[in-house]
Amino acid sequence: MRKLASLSVILALCGGAFYAVSAAEKAAEPAKEAAAAKTPLECFESRKGASELTQRDVQPGWPNVKCSPTTGAALWYGDPYDGTVPMGKMPGLDIAEGKAVVKPRTEKLALMPMCGVSCHNGVGPAFNPPKLPKDKKPAPVPTMEAMVPDLANFQHGRGRIWCMDCHHTTQRNMLVDHFGDPVSFDQPQLLCGKCHGDKLRDWRDGIHGKRIGEFVSTGKKRWFTCTECHNPHNVQDGARNKGFIQVQPEPSPQLPRGMANADHEKLHPIPH
Amino acid sequence: MVAEFAVKPAASQFTPLLEEDVAINQKPCAGAAQDRPSDCPVQPASADPAANQLKTTRRDFLRAGGMLSLSSLMGTAALMTQSDNANAAVEWGEHFQKNYRLMTTEEKNEARLRLERRYSDEYGKKVSVDTTEAQPGMLMGYALNIRKCIGCRRCVHACVAENNQSRGPRPGEKIEWIQVLRMERGKFEQEKMNHGYPEGLGIQVGGNAYTPAGQVLEGQYHYNPKAVPEADATYMPIACMQCEKPPCVKVCPVRTTYREGDGPVVIDYNWCIGCKMCMNACPYWARRFNLTTPVLPKEEMNPVTHYLGNRPRMRGVVEKCHWCLQRTRHNRYPACVEVCPVGARKFGNLLDPESEVSKILERKNVFRLKAELNTFPKFFYFYD
Repeated sequence: MRKLASLSVILALCGGAFYAVSAAEKAAEPAKEAAAAKTPLECFESRKGASELTQRDVQPGWPNVKCSPTTGAALWYGDPYDGTVPMGKMPGLDIAEGKAVVKPRTEKLALMPMCGVSCHNGVGPAFNPPKLPKDKKPAPVPTMEAMVPDLANFQHGRGRIWCMDCHHTTQRNMLVDHFGDPVSFDQPQLLCGKCHGDKLRDWRDGIHGKRIGEFVSTGKKRWFTCTECHNPHNVQDGARNKGFIQVQPEPSPQLPRGMANADHEKLHPIPH
Repeated sequence: MVAEFAVKPAASQFTPLLEEDVAINQKPCAGAAQDRPSDCPVQPASADPAANQLKTTRRDFLRAGGMLSLSSLMGTAALMTQSDNANAAVEWGEHFQKNYRLMTTEEKNEARLRLERRYSDEYGKKVSVDTTEAQPGMLMGYALNIRKCIGCRRCVHACVAENNQSRGPRPGEKIEWIQVLRMERGKFEQEKMNHGYPEGLGIQVGGNAYTPAGQVLEGQYHYNPKAVPEADATYMPIACMQCEKPPCVKVCPVRTTYREGDGPVVIDYNWCIGCKMCMNACPYWARRFNLTTPVLPKEEMNPVTHYLGNRPRMRGVVEKCHWCLQRTRHNRYPACVEVCPVGARKFGNLLDPESEVSKILERKNVFRLKAELNTFPKFFYFYD
């Protein structure tokens, strides 16, 4: 029996030597690398047009964001704090410095620099500003409607509010709160909470809206502000009467082997 | 006490018989059991003495065969350790590792290093395999706002990007852990006012003007419209509910799937035998099976992994959602929570009254899917 065992060990050792040689041959073959799949390098986050991210590697093989090849939406976050600034103070919210960050919206809004200097800087004596509204009675402003297409189909408040309820009269790069004080575009929650108090309370506690980063209550989070998800000029999205605009869905799951389509799903087993 | 009294007389009746049995079987071989097993029939295997005669030679034969196979096994070991292929040497070690829960810290470290070496070799980049344990004071919980969900399936694909699922083009090669169910909206209708009265029986069971769409988990998984949400539909994502009393854990014959201290139900993929009992037991259809060798392109592989989480799986093992253990053990939100564009998904520590999920449980209307099964999911559905 020992003889047999020792024989087999010898055989195995020989085999090992052969295996090592063949492995070395294999390694010598030119490694064929699959061409990297083309994915869009720029993707939108929550809704189209609100904020974008550009894909780059934070560390090798670990990008800051992965974009969907079908819809162009952000599909995965490696670095949740990419391009963020500290969120300002917010009443009723006690967060340690630097633990709450937001993505600045100010630079994203293209009209912003122009608005403040050309017409609405509020310092010109006669021409500038041309005509300040004397009261809060809505008046159509053709210039503005031409510049911001959403205004033609303005739904927010169903005709009960107008521009000056949210935008500052003389500082056009700012929003306005109840006291007429300017509010930054990066902190729209201070303005929206004027009417949507219940939503503000839920948002403050993390129930409404979205936060990414560290989930523990003391962790650093990136907060998504109101206007990153809702278009304030068209919150209801037409007849759907929902807060979030319609988007293209990501591809559906794979069909099981042998199934040509999923029409059977549409036949509801419960008779209507 | 009563039960003991009742049993004792019965036991004493059988005692003499038992003693006899023992005497026959064990007395002759008290000392010599190790050396000469042929003299000592430990088990009365056969009533036929001829069979016992045969057994001695058979035992010798088996022992010889065992020696031979052991030596050849040693030969294989020599073969594998001699080769410069890290992959082979690593797999040898993997074959002989214990169930993850029985491993000591050193053994876990060894397993971690083995896997890191193998994955880094296989995927051509530095892969880390985390073995962070559950932290005290943490019980993970999940909440999903079904009023908010628009059915965009971004969570499904975020999950795939994070968790290294198989993503090949052929059937069975594409695995997704989250399913988004499209359901028709129920509604009350005038013309259905008299429904619910069975003809012939004459028993009045009440009016049924309500169209009970969505009462059962039957809906469309493969919906693909131009834009979501559709006006006549609601969407319900389902994945692993991380039950407090998981039926999958109850049925696992090798105890490779179990509930971690901080909540998630996890799988030690190395110990899984692929019997799919857990898949049958799960009432939420949360588990997936790797029918084929997983197809995971190198450039898409997520190099930050956890041993019980998203490390690349092999063929023939079951996998499922584990709440992104590689992230949540380091306080990061799961991938699906971060990517949900409407913020319908919420995640937090159930033991922390300040967490999002605790606030939701305190303030919102919450239900658990199939609560009647007493699985006690830590995944809550809520609505405003």
